[in-house]
Amino acid sequence: MVYAKYGPPAIIHGVETLDLSRSLLKQEPVVSGEWTPGIRRTGLIARKIGVYPMWMKDGKKVATTLLQVVDNYVIKYISPEEYQASRKAPRRYKNEGKWGCLVVGAECCDPQKFTKEYCGLFKDSGVAPTKILSRFLVSPEAAIQPGTSLSPLHFKVGDHIDVFGISKERGFQGVMKRWGFKGMPATHGVTKTHRRGGNIGQGGNKGRVFPGTKMPGWMGGRRRTLRGCQILRINTKFNVIFVKGQSVPGGQNSVVFLHDTLLPLKWRKTSPEAFPTYFPNLQEGDSLPVDIYHESVHNFSDPSIMYEDEEVKDAKK
Amino acid sequence: MSNLVLFQLRKSTVALSAISKLNKTHIEIQFNFKYLVGQLSQRLQSTSSQVVVRENTKREQKRVVPPNYRHIYPEFLPDPNMEFRNSVREKLERTDMINRRSRIEIPEFYVGSILAVTSSDEHAVGKTTKFVGICIKREFCGLRANFTLRNVVDNLGVEIKYEMYDPRLQRVQVLRLEKRLDSELLYLRDADPEFSTFPFDMDAEFLNEGAPVPVNPLKVNLRPPPWYARWERLQPKGAIIPELRGRRKEKSEKWLEKFSEPWEKYDLMKQYRKTIPEEEQDSIYSDIYSELHQMEIASKKLKRKKAFVKPKKTG
Repeated sequence: MVYAKYGPPAIIHGVETLDLSRSLLKQEPVVSGEWTPGIRRTGLIARKIGVYPMWMKDGKKVATTLLQVVDNYVIKYISPEEYQASRKAPRRYKNEGKWGCLVVGAECCDPQKFTKEYCGLFKDSGVAPTKILSRFLVSPEAAIQPGTSLSPLHFKVGDHIDVFGISKERGFQGVMKRWGFKGMPATHGVTKTHRRGGNIGQGGNKGRVFPGTKMPGWMGGRRRTLRGCQILRINTKFNVIFVKGQSVPGGQNSVVFLHDTLLPLKWRKTSPEAFPTYFPNLQEGDSLPVDIYHESVHNFSDPSIMYEDEEVKDAKK
Repeated sequence: MSNLVLFQLRKSTVALSAISKLNKTHIEIQFNFKYLVGQLSQRLQSTSSQVVVRENTKREQKRVVPPNYRHIYPEFLPDPNMEFRNSVREKLERTDMINRRSRIEIPEFYVGSILAVTSSDEHAVGKTTKFVGICIKREFCGLRANFTLRNVVDNLGVEIKYEMYDPRLQRVQVLRLEKRLDSELLYLRDADPEFSTFPFDMDAEFLNEGAPVPVNPLKVNLRPPPWYARWERLQPKGAIIPELRGRRKEKSEKWLEKFSEPWEKYDLMKQYRKTIPEEEQDSIYSDIYSELHQMEIASKKLKRKKAFVKPKKTG
């Protein structure tokens, strides 16, 4: 039994020992590969903490959404073969078979607040049970060792990301708010029909209302993705990513999930600096700037924006 | 059996600002803790209830932040609506505001003060524009804070809304620092133009240091209706509403009877929900007090330098 557990007996360098060349680890350490175009990296879990304005260097005002990346850890890596075997639903995308799955958790909590089964998910990684869990499809080259903490510096200022979350619930809404119908005039003899949908079908051959016809119903509370958001600023003290735009799905303090954009025109052409993710350099820790701005964004500590006279511009040329 | 009624009230004196729906003046009510408890227990009118008061041991602690900071820097206080609050975002916003204030002096001003704003304008001659006007409105908080200036230029009323933390602003100068009887002066749109006209080359008027901000009790003459808003309902203190006639008079009387809420001034919880409690105000301002204080000292030095004219020898 000792030999089965540890290895066969052997004489190494003239000493009688056990042959320990076989690894004793339960799970082999995850090995990451090199970046090539088309590889998918992991994402992050963040909270939408607010929206506030920032100004660009040309004076244009822009609304930025603040996404705070709090306490993110990699919980588990599932290889592509294992992941596909576990899925019952049919494949949705062409390349789905080649992606593995990385389970990421956020906001660690007291284990007593969860069931024993839920806490069992975190045993292998050694991370304290987290409140929020999410899956991200990743290429096997971008796999990360479970237990690694993820930082907002996984993304760089200027990157484009997709942000998805559960949109705000608006309840049972009519056709004008839900689908943007124009309604009917308020006066000029219109009888009892001001905010209704109007015609819902044609008749004749089909003689029925088609499924998917726009009608009143429940609005909001669904998963929605905002694609191609540009990162304008990263605050390393509070781990906040400032994203351009204000229509991030979800209300204040709601959970959102970020990952590299899937929009083809904004895919990466060069390798990201943080691949498979950002690993903090202990020596570099102190020299990290508190705020990293995009080059087009005006830093509030800089002097007021002044426009150059045309004559001065021409003279410079 | 006596009912023990435990009130989880504010630890020290509660400062609330009551904004009546009908008349829009700011009234500062400093509630003494004992007074508040007394009022509440009176209203309960329950002989068997006891009010347990938690005494604050730190009440006698010396205050670092001057009490008038909430009037000089009102945009540092966040929106009291709990739905939109987040301490990390507020902290970041405050830091950005202080960073901007280190580059431009945004002085203390109120609705009714006359300001001169110089800002960068791409399409202007010399790439800068100067506008002088009376501040008629101040909105929002944080980096979104803005103010509207009104003036009459070539017989045309002009209003410009400036964002306080816009990096295109080069200089904000207060020409006349004063308050009016209302917190918004939108009725100037329906008043005689003489009340909104201010010369662009107006000189700055200086107030003595430490003097209280004067309140101008001016009452503006409104032109005959129709108006931008129904001023007879909002009853602004700084405007003389002319005698209404016919249908307009009937409607306004009916509306006042139906919609006036005389109980609103007794609604303490409503006022509480609209304001940031005093302890939070203190913690917010003490966060940024040292930077603001340094800026104040620097600006005072500059003012003294400018005001001081070296005496010249004559004869």
